[in-house]
Amino acid sequence: MQDALAAVIATRGLGKHYGSVQALVDLDLEVRPGEIFGFLGPNGAGKSTMIRILLGFLHPSAGSATVLGGDVERDSVEIRSRIGYLPGGIALYDSLSGRDALDYLSDLQGRPPSRREELCDRLEMPASVLRRRVRDYSRGMRQKMGVIQALQHDPELAILDEPTEGLDPLMQQGFYAIVGDLRAAGRTVFMSSHILSEVERVCDRVAIIRRGRLMALHRVEELLARRKRRIQLRWLGTAPDLSVVPGLVDVAVDGDRISGTLLGDVAPFVRAVASPSLLDLTIEPARLEEAFLEYYAEDAEEVP
Amino acid sequence: MSWALFARTLAWNRTRLLILMLVAFGWSMLVPVFYTSFSEAVREIVNSGLFPRDLLSFGSGDFFTLAGALTLGLQHPLAIAFVAVFAIGSPVAAIAGERERGTLEVLLSRPISRHRHYAVVALAVLVLVALVVAALVLGQLAGVWAVGVTEELEMARLPLVFANGVLLWAAFGSFSLAASVSSDRAGPALGLSLGYLLLNYFFEILGSLWDAAEWTQDYSLFHHFQPGELLSGEADPLDFAILAAAMVVPIAWALVVYPRRDLAAPA
Repeated sequence: MQDALAAVIATRGLGKHYGSVQALVDLDLEVRPGEIFGFLGPNGAGKSTMIRILLGFLHPSAGSATVLGGDVERDSVEIRSRIGYLPGGIALYDSLSGRDALDYLSDLQGRPPSRREELCDRLEMPASVLRRRVRDYSRGMRQKMGVIQALQHDPELAILDEPTEGLDPLMQQGFYAIVGDLRAAGRTVFMSSHILSEVERVCDRVAIIRRGRLMALHRVEELLARRKRRIQLRWLGTAPDLSVVPGLVDVAVDGDRISGTLLGDVAPFVRAVASPSLLDLTIEPARLEEAFLEYYAEDAEEVP
Repeated sequence: MSWALFARTLAWNRTRLLILMLVAFGWSMLVPVFYTSFSEAVREIVNSGLFPRDLLSFGSGDFFTLAGALTLGLQHPLAIAFVAVFAIGSPVAAIAGERERGTLEVLLSRPISRHRHYAVVALAVLVLVALVVAALVLGQLAGVWAVGVTEELEMARLPLVFANGVLLWAAFGSFSLAASVSSDRAGPALGLSLGYLLLNYFFEILGSLWDAAEWTQDYSLFHHFQPGELLSGEADPLDFAILAAAMVVPIAWALVVYPRRDLAAPA
């Protein structure tokens, strides 16, 4: 394996087809060391196909992919010795106790479970729970087991498919804290998710995939900065002239209420409305969801 | 070699292995008892002309000699069922079963190549099969000793019977493993493996009961498992060679197919 300092994950023209169905098309992607990378797309967009190629479960039809400097086809075993993987909708060994299942997977990994205790604390999986058989676990507990088995050996790269699926809000917070720990430790995380607020919250960069093609790859802040924000204000007396505010469009006046859509920087707008006549002001935060939906709205428009 | 995987595969089978070894041992002990109790009566029936001799044989076994009785015990459907649990059930559960349950991707996300996974499961199946065949052979030995007919048995030839039996079941095991690595679900792999076993058994029994269909025996793996001939010193090395070939071909298939196939997300 090459000692690549650059990308932890790199794909070049990666493609995968099943017969005439194109699951991935000419995908170029780089995930840098130490970043938390979000991989977004609806069901069937190609997220799982991409992850399964990285793990060596699927063989690419075109292009190449490297993980931690190794080729996913040639160096798959070496790659898997350095990563942790949480499959979507994880299945575990029902007949084993939680602890035995973790011990077994740790033995197969060939590395000591150095982070298990800390992860169990974060996710509230005490020894009494780990003594129970996996078949008696709830969906949320199985998901917590999935996170623990993926990260207990402190992998250099964690590949997590829908990591908070089935976790209650409290445990989601626990998971976000774990991601924070990984970030602080310089580990790289590649995670797919349907939960856009989650990606927005924990990821440094995000890729949006549609019909197997990469549609966007940005830092989360860049993506948010380009998004439209809904603004609403209430005004005492005659409505101010907002036509001079750069980026403000779709302005509508209804009595004392004014609404519109703001693109880009909010500062000029705030300066324009700073007045004793301003009764109320709401600027909705830019949401990744809007960015995401915009890519798919374009897709819908393309369909005849 | 992944000892954790090997040990876990055996551990998952330990309870049923213990039970089936005890049952197989007990069943095999009874065979020499039946032989000493009923062989004279069977001879009288044959001599009376009521039944043709062929109808009182089963496969390659009969009740006229101790070697024939031991063969009958090892080819009896009960004995076949005991070993098939591990020669067919374990390979199917270990790969296609794990694939269907979704645990295979957790396992293969570890640094284990598919070749190694296959090799470890195959070794575990071989050990399980060998233990049950050993229980069958040792049970017969214990029965022979218990009824006092040891002088009719050449003990030194028993290891050959054991080796012939292990080879037969290894051939069925390798076929089941090939079916298992080729399938995403346990049901089709199990059906194919059981079908292969039953077809072989059918050919052997059909050929032994019906002269016109005797040729079918040549196409049955059971016909190359000949404890009677081995015990009477008439071993044919070709039987071992054919069983070895029947074992190697599915192994080669599996080693080519398993690493190359795509493992899509479980349904």
